[in-house]
Formats: sequence, C-alpha cells, structure tokens
Amino acid sequence: MIWGLITAVANKPPGKAQLLFAAFLELVVVAQSLIAGFRLVTGFRPAELATTIGYLIGIVIMIPVAWLWANSERTRFSGVVLAVAALAVLGMTLRLLELWTPPLLR
Amino acid sequence: MSQPAPRPTNTGPGRILVAVYGIFALAACARAGVQLATRFSEAPVAYLLSALAGVVYLVATLTLGRGGRTSWRVALVAIVIEAVGVLAVGTASLVDPAAFPRATVWSAYGIGYGFVPLVLPFLGLAWLISTRPR
Repeated sequence: MIWGLITAVANKPPGKAQLLFAAFLELVVVAQSLIAGFRLVTGFRPAELATTIGYLIGIVIMIPVAWLWANSERTRFSGVVLAVAALAVLGMTLRLLELWTPPLLR
Repeated sequence: MSQPAPRPTNTGPGRILVAVYGIFALAACARAGVQLATRFSEAPVAYLLSALAGVVYLVATLTLGRGGRTSWRVALVAIVIEAVGVLAVGTASLVDPAAFPRATVWSAYGIGYGFVPLVLPFLGLAWLISTRPR
C-alpha cells in the first residue's frame, strides 16, 4: 500500500517533498529490518534464513545508494532512479513477506 | 575520454539504466551466492548460470557507470553476453525444464523478475548505440 505510493511520488521531478518522502521510506524500511532482525535473533525462523537476511540488508541499503546516485546528477532522470530503487524495495519486501509467512499457502 | 563523445553512458537516461543494472547485479550475485553456498549440489548448472548472470550485470553496471571509451567496449561485450544468455537460457528452460530444476534469473526469459531481464539488454544495446564514442 505504502509501497505503491512511493513510485508515484518518485516519478515527479525531484523536489524537497520527494527527498523527504524517500527519507521517510528509508525510516520505514530500517524499522522493518530492525524488527525482523530482532525476531530472527529471538528465534523466529523464516523459510529461507540466508535469503531473508540478504533481503533485510538489501532493502536498507537500496534507498541511500539510489539517493547518492540520483543526487550526483540532478535531472529529471534522478527521480526515476529513486522510483526504480523504490520499486526494487517493493519487490524485495514482497519476497520477504512470502518467505516470512508460514508455508500455509504453499 | 579526451575526444568529445556524443554523450557519456553515465548521464541522463543512462543513469536509470545504471541503477537498474545495479539492482540486478545485487540481486543476481546475492542469489547466486546464497544458492552456491547452501545447496550447490541441487542444481549446479542453474546456480552457476545465476552467478554468471550476476557477474555480467555487475560488469555492465560498473562500465556503464564509469563512462569512457574502454568502458563502452566492455559494456558492449557484457550486454551482448547478457542478451544471448537471457535468450538461450530462457529458451532452454522452456524447451527442457528438467535441465533447470531450480530457477535462474534468466529462466523463462526472466519471468520471475517481471521480464525485466529480457528487456534490459536491448535497452542497454540501444543506449550504447546512441552513445557510441567516435
């Protein structure tokens, strides 16, 4: 839900609102990874442990890297760069949810 | 670098391309790393192909991101390998699914990644042609 909005916002030319939104997204993602990391430490085991950890780290670094890349040449394309990164975060989050959910549906 | 190229590969729309390649480099390398480390014996061919895809994406990311004449050439080679790879593996995985018991990035033309792996090399080639140094 939140994730869908991100790409829509990010497709506009980069402005303050978008950068703030990216920062907000990063906060959400960091919170998500911290909570998930805590659950892992306390003994929860998702379907694929190594893959899950990879995704948890991946989603955290995605936005900052895209931010740097978008800011080192600020054109209308930098907004798309952020959108692409947000889309990747979305994809990885969906995969995480899939791994995290007990295999009832599979 | 000394001669004025029409446009370096790392500006304008090229930056989007670099970003997408970067994500795929990360995705394919991480995936291959996990697969090779934890269950190599299950499907060595598929996992090695994942690793190859990862390396190709990584090379394309770095060379497109650097710009410059040599980078342009290396990027061209990488992206051609990528195009051949996705078409060959995509076709092979459909014709003979038994040979690919585990998915790679390129299986069924990248269906697991929204067919982006199929489109990406052609976007890459188009971009390289339009930025050809001369």
